[in-house]
Amino acid sequence: MSLQIFVNALVNAALIAPPAMAFSLLFGILRFPNFAIGGYITVGAFAAYTLNVPLGLPLPVATAGAMAFTGLLVWLAHVLVFRPMEDQSAVTLLVLSIALTLILESVVRLFFSADVRGFNIPLERPWKFLGARITKEQIGIIICAIVLATSLHVLLRHTRIGRAMRAVADNPMLASIRGVDAAKITAFTTVLCGAMFGLTGVFAGLDLVIEPLVGWNLTIPIFAAAILGGIGSPYGAILGALMLGLAEELTILILPSTYKIGVGFVIIAVLLLVRPQGLFGTAEIKK
Amino acid sequence: MSEAILMVQDLRSGYGRTVICDEISLQVEAGKITCIIGPNGAGKSTLLKTIAGVIPAMAGSIRVAGSEIASQPPAQVARSGMAYVPQEANVFRALTTHENLAMGGWIDETRTRSARDKIYAMFPDLKSLAQIPAGNLSGGQRQMVAFGMALMLEPRVLLLDEPSAGLSPLMVGQMFDTVRRVNETGVAILMVEQNAVQGLRTAHDGIVMASGRIAMNAPAADLLDSKDVSELYLGSRT
Repeated sequence: MSLQIFVNALVNAALIAPPAMAFSLLFGILRFPNFAIGGYITVGAFAAYTLNVPLGLPLPVATAGAMAFTGLLVWLAHVLVFRPMEDQSAVTLLVLSIALTLILESVVRLFFSADVRGFNIPLERPWKFLGARITKEQIGIIICAIVLATSLHVLLRHTRIGRAMRAVADNPMLASIRGVDAAKITAFTTVLCGAMFGLTGVFAGLDLVIEPLVGWNLTIPIFAAAILGGIGSPYGAILGALMLGLAEELTILILPSTYKIGVGFVIIAVLLLVRPQGLFGTAEIKK
Repeated sequence: MSEAILMVQDLRSGYGRTVICDEISLQVEAGKITCIIGPNGAGKSTLLKTIAGVIPAMAGSIRVAGSEIASQPPAQVARSGMAYVPQEANVFRALTTHENLAMGGWIDETRTRSARDKIYAMFPDLKSLAQIPAGNLSGGQRQMVAFGMALMLEPRVLLLDEPSAGLSPLMVGQMFDTVRRVNETGVAILMVEQNAVQGLRTAHDGIVMASGRIAMNAPAADLLDSKDVSELYLGSRT
């Protein structure tokens, strides 16, 4: 029983960490909390489903296709929806992003109905060790999340474009004075984050189910993990996801599992009251 | 006489439709330090920002080594052989000293390694701070990182906006020494200074700005000796 809690928490964290990192990266560059991530994840799940089930492509190919599709979608959303409004306040953009997520979800519902679906993968018995169960797909999700976090670390710390992404997030004016084309860096960041949301859609489809609300249901946990780790800090987001995963699983010990989704809200509320910069973030000093 | 590396003619600029600086013509000679002084609100920083391309020029011409850069975006100005150090937020706080210097050479990273070695040779203190985020450095150390970053592409002109602002009195002296040392390597400097006496003592040429226009333009030593200037801007410290 106790080991199962940690296994579940780890799977949960592996599902939440990549989109929480992407959410943090987007926030760092665009400076508003983008709640359209729910819509992006749903679109990613259904794009992979379309390629995998009706078109019969193998899941890895369908995943790559879904990531490309959501990468393009998030870039288009930036160019067509958010950039024309960039002079507006962060709250206006936040409301706009909620509207976008509702539109994306409704479009998905229009074409696919609200039925619950799954990928075309063989059902297998979960592996058992020391009394805990874990499925092959869950192991795949954990490995992918670790590879993704490591790659993102290498990108941000050791590549030219990653350094520019951090520079633009830190001080966009100085970055442009030093010759960085902020528009190109922003475009790259939106495509990269879009691909990560697409991947999350596939993971969610594997671990949960594919339905139009799949992204929306993940939005609060992702937001909670991102602010737990200090919004704008992709590394904090990983720790935030682990802590959130554990907190959600521990709640089940004392409360019915329907309250699990409330954990994210409680964490957000407490953090905003006590430590608005996040557990691992640093307070910004405003002059 | 040496040639002018930076030539500004009949420049007008401001924010929105509000004109802050007008009829600005000035020259910075190659290898010389020019210091702009003047009361608060005279338009000194606005002028520097316009030359750096951060604010678009409304009219007039800005030439660096002969090529026109007026109203080019800052990313383009960065390629012209001129580097700008803003007054505030002039380092990337989340990036290490080493990474800040790399950002200074962003445009041409083939030169980064050798240029960074030169900066470390010029500011030996920075070497031990290489792996520390710039946000954790002291004001004086940050100013050195900001200078080092601006020097990475070996500019011929450096624009400094109030380099002594926010530094302790001890650090102010060191900072002006640094400005002199940078200048001795052949870099022309155009700086705006609130600290008029020390600014003019460091500079070869001085410009007095008032109400968005150039009131006086003369060798720095002459301005320091001038009765008008000392009464109006230098206070009793002369």
